Amino acid sequence: MSSADNPFKNSDGTELSCIQMLNLILDGDASPEQHQYFKKHLEECMPCYKSHELDIAIRDLLKVKCSGNHVPDDLVNRIKTASQKNNNGR
Amino acid sequence: MEESKKQDYSEKEKLEIFNNEFLPHINSMYNFGYRLTLDEDDAKDLVQDTYLKSFRFIESFQKGTNAKAWLFRILKNSFINDYRKRSKEPSKVDYQDVESYYNSDDVDRQITTDLRVETLQDMIGDEISNALNSLDVDFRTVIILCDLEGFKYDEMAKILDIPIGTVRSRLHRARNLLKEKLSDYAKKMGYKN
Ligand SMILES: [Zn+2]
Repeated sequence: MSSADNPFKNSDGTELSCIQMLNLILDGDASPEQHQYFKKHLEECMPCYKSHELDIAIRDLLKVKCSGNHVPDDLVNRIKTASQKNNNGR
Repeated sequence: MEESKKQDYSEKEKLEIFNNEFLPHINSMYNFGYRLTLDEDDAKDLVQDTYLKSFRFIESFQKGTNAKAWLFRILKNSFINDYRKRSKEPSKVDYQDVESYYNSDDVDRQITTDLRVETLQDMIGDEISNALNSLDVDFRTVIILCDLEGFKYDEMAKILDIPIGTVRSRLHRARNLLKEKLSDYAKKMGYKN
């Protein structure tokens, strides 16, 4: 893979480091082309492979454990009542 | 969010926007409120307050645009302006610590952690939640916005009113801090890593 094919470049033309590529992928800000390149890179770069695996695992754990806060039943009604009162009060 | 001109909605349209575009995000909003305040009652108040504001300012919202980001920004501002000010609890944050973290050059440093995927898979309790909650609120916020809610850099920049570069660096520091916390938990759990 020549560096000309590397879609991970800074504005000054220098290539991104492994960790910079990894973060871009993980943050969902990479292009399809970058995803493709990174997939190949993972096959030959052990540090990236390990970090990637760990980062994905952390993210999955976060999603399972930290996003499921049950909304209190009365909250939606409280909001609806309050907003209607507000609206009619004008 | 964009400084677009004010919309002119009928009362019926306002209710439609509120019910169809704003209310469906209540789960995410409550979770965000809870993760910021770490208190269920405060989270409820913050979310209710945010929704009332969204109704009051509905004319600055352009129908069909990113309602979720717009709401998150209102909630974040309410938290900073109202909640944080009246909160009696003294800040537990060591600001010098945070500052030095913000200003250090280690944003692209790969932290050497001996944390293993298998260890994470054994964290079936509240370890990750506690680790997240123990981070400084600014770091906690970027993890929630990116990893839980899937916002992109540019959306996060608008929600938080900070440059994209700052979003990026804050996010990576937050991830490193989270890994360090998890690594500490792992050691306490008795993993020999
Ligand atoms: Zn690599």
